[in-house]
Amino acid sequence: MFQIGFDEAGVIVAEGRLDAAQAPRAQEFLDAVPDRCVLDLGKLEYMSSAGLGVLLKTHKRLMSGGGGLKLVNVNSHINDIFMYSGFDKLFEIETAE
Amino acid sequence: MKKKFGRSFDEISNIVSFTDTFFEQQDVDASLRYIVDLCVEELFVNMVTYNTETDESILIEMIPHEHGVEVSLTDFDVERFDPRDASPVDVDAPLEQRTPGGLGLYLVLKMVDSIHYEYRNRKSKITFIADRK
Repeated sequence: MFQIGFDEAGVIVAEGRLDAAQAPRAQEFLDAVPDRCVLDLGKLEYMSSAGLGVLLKTHKRLMSGGGGLKLVNVNSHINDIFMYSGFDKLFEIETAE
Repeated sequence: MKKKFGRSFDEISNIVSFTDTFFEQQDVDASLRYIVDLCVEELFVNMVTYNTETDESILIEMIPHEHGVEVSLTDFDVERFDPRDASPVDVDAPLEQRTPGGLGLYLVLKMVDSIHYEYRNRKSKITFIADRK
């Protein structure tokens, strides 16, 4: 199960499992967000390389317009994936407490 | 424990359920779950995406290993593809040089404790071991 949407503060919230089957839905949503965005991953349990591709494509699009994607509440498993992939050098990332 | 899965990304949720059952029945260390889920998905997706010359289902087998789990994925009637020969990924490249894709097998090779490849009679079998640290 995967869900993505805005919360009342305008933060994008992703929940569940972002795998190759769900990546197109995540990409469709993120293709429509403008400028500088915060993506809260606190309720995201799992992300594969398909999800990494979605984040990278979105971040590049936003950066080209002077914005970007900030990732917050990242759990340790997903943060490991970010580190292995070099995403820690590409994104502003805040890990979960 | 083994089961065949159709060549569709929609099968990923069924693979997760299969893995749930294996971890519960075999009492496998839960700390290995993310690695197993990720590596199985990446290898399965790679087979579905690139081995398009067959309609055969993909066989996934999981057995307990001394300190963890041994997982095999077998693709039938396909060309040889050893994941250890995958193109390297420059994870230090700047954003403008990074493109989506190519990270799946890189992550598998980075995260498993060992990986073995066997190709015989057009049967392509990848086996990896994930051990408790």
